[in-house]
Amino acid sequence: MTLTGIAEFIASFFGLPGSSSVWIVAVLAAAILLGFMLLTVLILIYVLRKLLGKIQARLGPTRTGPKGIFQTAADALKLLIKEDTIPVKADRRVFIVAPILVFVPAYLVYVVVPFGEGNHFIAKDLNIGLLYIVAVSSINVIGVVLAGWASENKYSLLGGMRSAAQLISYEVPQALAVLGPVMLAESLSMQDIVKAQGEGLFSWFIFRSLPLLGFIVFLVASMAEINHVPFDLPEGESELVAGFNVEYSGMRFAFFMLAEFAASFTICAIAATLFLGGWHSPIRGFLDNGWWTVFWFFLKSSALVCLLMWIRATYPRVRVDQLMEFGWKLMIPLALFNVLVVGLYVALGKGG
Amino acid sequence: MDWHTCSFYVLSVMILGSALMVVSLRNIVHCALFLAFTFMGVAGVFALLHAEFLAAVQVLIYVGAITVLILFAVMLTQKTIGISLKQTNRLAPLAVLSAVTFLCMIAVIALNTTFPTSGQHTVAVSTQTIGSAILGNGSYVVPFEVASILLLAAMVGAIVIARGQDN
Amino acid sequence: MGPQHPSTHGVLRVILKLDGEWIVEAHPDIGYLHRSFEKMGELRTYTNGLPLTDRWDYLCAMTNNLVYSMAVEQLLEVEVPERAQYLRVIVCELNRIASHLVFIGTYGLDLGAQTPFLYCFRDRERILHIFEEICGARLTYSYIYPGGVSGDALPGWLEKVDAFLDYLPPMMREIDQLLTGNEIFILRTRNIGLISPEQAIDWSLSGPMLRASNVNFDLRKESPYQVYDRLDFSVAVAEQGDCLARYHVRVAEIGESIKMVKQCLAQIPDGPTRAKLPKTIKPPAGEVYARVDTPRGELGVYMISDGTDKPYRQKIRGPAFVNLSILSELLPGWKIADAVSILGSIDVVMGEVDR
Repeated sequence: MTLTGIAEFIASFFGLPGSSSVWIVAVLAAAILLGFMLLTVLILIYVLRKLLGKIQARLGPTRTGPKGIFQTAADALKLLIKEDTIPVKADRRVFIVAPILVFVPAYLVYVVVPFGEGNHFIAKDLNIGLLYIVAVSSINVIGVVLAGWASENKYSLLGGMRSAAQLISYEVPQALAVLGPVMLAESLSMQDIVKAQGEGLFSWFIFRSLPLLGFIVFLVASMAEINHVPFDLPEGESELVAGFNVEYSGMRFAFFMLAEFAASFTICAIAATLFLGGWHSPIRGFLDNGWWTVFWFFLKSSALVCLLMWIRATYPRVRVDQLMEFGWKLMIPLALFNVLVVGLYVALGKGG
Repeated sequence: MDWHTCSFYVLSVMILGSALMVVSLRNIVHCALFLAFTFMGVAGVFALLHAEFLAAVQVLIYVGAITVLILFAVMLTQKTIGISLKQTNRLAPLAVLSAVTFLCMIAVIALNTTFPTSGQHTVAVSTQTIGSAILGNGSYVVPFEVASILLLAAMVGAIVIARGQDN
Repeated sequence: MGPQHPSTHGVLRVILKLDGEWIVEAHPDIGYLHRSFEKMGELRTYTNGLPLTDRWDYLCAMTNNLVYSMAVEQLLEVEVPERAQYLRVIVCELNRIASHLVFIGTYGLDLGAQTPFLYCFRDRERILHIFEEICGARLTYSYIYPGGVSGDALPGWLEKVDAFLDYLPPMMREIDQLLTGNEIFILRTRNIGLISPEQAIDWSLSGPMLRASNVNFDLRKESPYQVYDRLDFSVAVAEQGDCLARYHVRVAEIGESIKMVKQCLAQIPDGPTRAKLPKTIKPPAGEVYARVDTPRGELGVYMISDGTDKPYRQKIRGPAFVNLSILSELLPGWKIADAVSILGSIDVVMGEVDR
């Protein structure tokens, strides 16, 4: 009952050539990933509000359904039935395309996320998996700039460009931080990286060579990449300059929010894969096969997501120039230092 | 016709169509957007040729960085936004004529030449081979380093210019 | 910027002239909340005019009541019973704590920290509950009347205040941890919006804004009123004159207020809570200026009586109004993102600015 089997059945049912089953598998996998992504966002938004409520000495959603579990559905419904306004002077086509350009990269990254062991828990284990992630995330920036521009609003243009500057600045430390695990695993493929961390808790890359540095740099840079607090100046009630998505309402705005929440899960998943051993259990060989790997994967990703939410509740916002200073003057040197140290570790360890 | 050829044709249409849009549309931001589509098409062609490293890097650099650069340049220049640009002038028919002539010449030459092809089908160039080629023994390390220095010089120059006189 | 803006603390409009990121000129445009209190005060008797005073600076209504009552008492030259004076000081200092809690919460919220806001309001709820028990209202009290206070504390109220004062310091430590030591908070407030002592005095600033610029001036020490001269407290002063200093001063003032209320609770005598005043208050003709120290600064009422039962003129010197005037000198030279930081640190309440 694998995807390939289903695909072949569908191919023969519709009388399509046998080679088309590859394409049908791809379509099915894409649909499953989309469903998973939407489900994740649904759950994440609810968890965020409840968790924030608990930290802030209040209850969070309680009315919509038992314990407020239908809150996200209610929000989604509200956004769907809102009037879809497009500013009169705005460039219609670009206005409509921009949210897509932000949403699609967030969705595309799910293709290489290893949910579990083996080839049936990952959509496609590309041999350049990590590079693919970095490349696809960089398409985000165009969407943001276009969203700011298409709104025909001086302030949202400024906000969009500022946000774009933030995004491209933090791509560098993110990519550099990712190099550590690549060097330790000697491969860009996500499953290979996970397999290289298979020997129990202390073989996880977070503990090898320079403990924690790469992990922290990656997490902080990724938080800046997805406009997460404390780097959410482009979208927090930005003091004077409006964010790039200020003119968007209804479902178009929902695209941006969807992309952000989906991305927050993705970076936690990637951080878990790169640094926390992916789908391996902490004890070697214990509950380390089949569907248990999916469990470990989700456990680690969820822990990181909760960490991110915790940070969201605690910290104020960084000012934009402080943010840029922080990125260029602190993050990049740290990331480079990390690459150096890991490189030395690998080189010396290989009998060099 | 197998999927390989079919994909190639689809991608070619995408590339050529987008490129045509880039030079003929009146709104400069639309042109920049179609440029991004062209780049993505090229990345697709790289992927078809089993050069996936190159495909990813193409997306990362051309779509992710160069397009943004062009968009920034367009948006920071006051007079180009919202203006309907005239992409052609009186010399347009002459230009089209010379371009088509050139194209025909090249096509005739290309179709009548027998290019020496290697015996293998396509070489899968993995990331490791590229890495060894750039940084391994007796390879392109010197040009690589020189290119980095050039980029560094460009970056420093840009920062110096951007800081302005008063600093 | 404004008047509808999440960070302007009410309906304040600031017209900014910008050069890229930098603010070149700033003009506060006020008046959106003007309700003609001064004129309305002339049309009401002295007793009826008291509920109006709650609405000047609605975050510390007790001190508004106090200054008005003090003015009337000075005109009448009447002595307020001791128990009333102690009760007045207790509620005024509690109100100071509540107002500063709002400041801390909203300042953090302006800068993006969502959690301290909720903690501060949770603690402020307790104060409002205490107030509700003594006068029946949570925000607009009309508790301090000319001649005393409107009602004595019910048995057990003083113990509740005491319990609250024991509850608060650990909560303040929690809030402290979230904001005061927070790197990002410090980054956004240190060396921002500097006011030199000379500037502060020139612009007639008062309250925490003045004390944060290294000027040790507190009305409660300089010209003590009610029973402040019997209380032992220190004035919170900070040196740098930046936003962080103003924040620190207000946090320290909460600590001092806790000390003061504790001393009041220990010293409070029994006795009447209201002096005997005629039914219609007709003070002899004269003029008087009464001033108190509110959480925003020096609040003053200049009252002219012409012998009738309505004041001839009631002029309100609102501290937030005077403090806000420095905005046009303070903002230029800083970035847009700092405008919110600076505006938040002035701690304006538009009700008092516009009256």
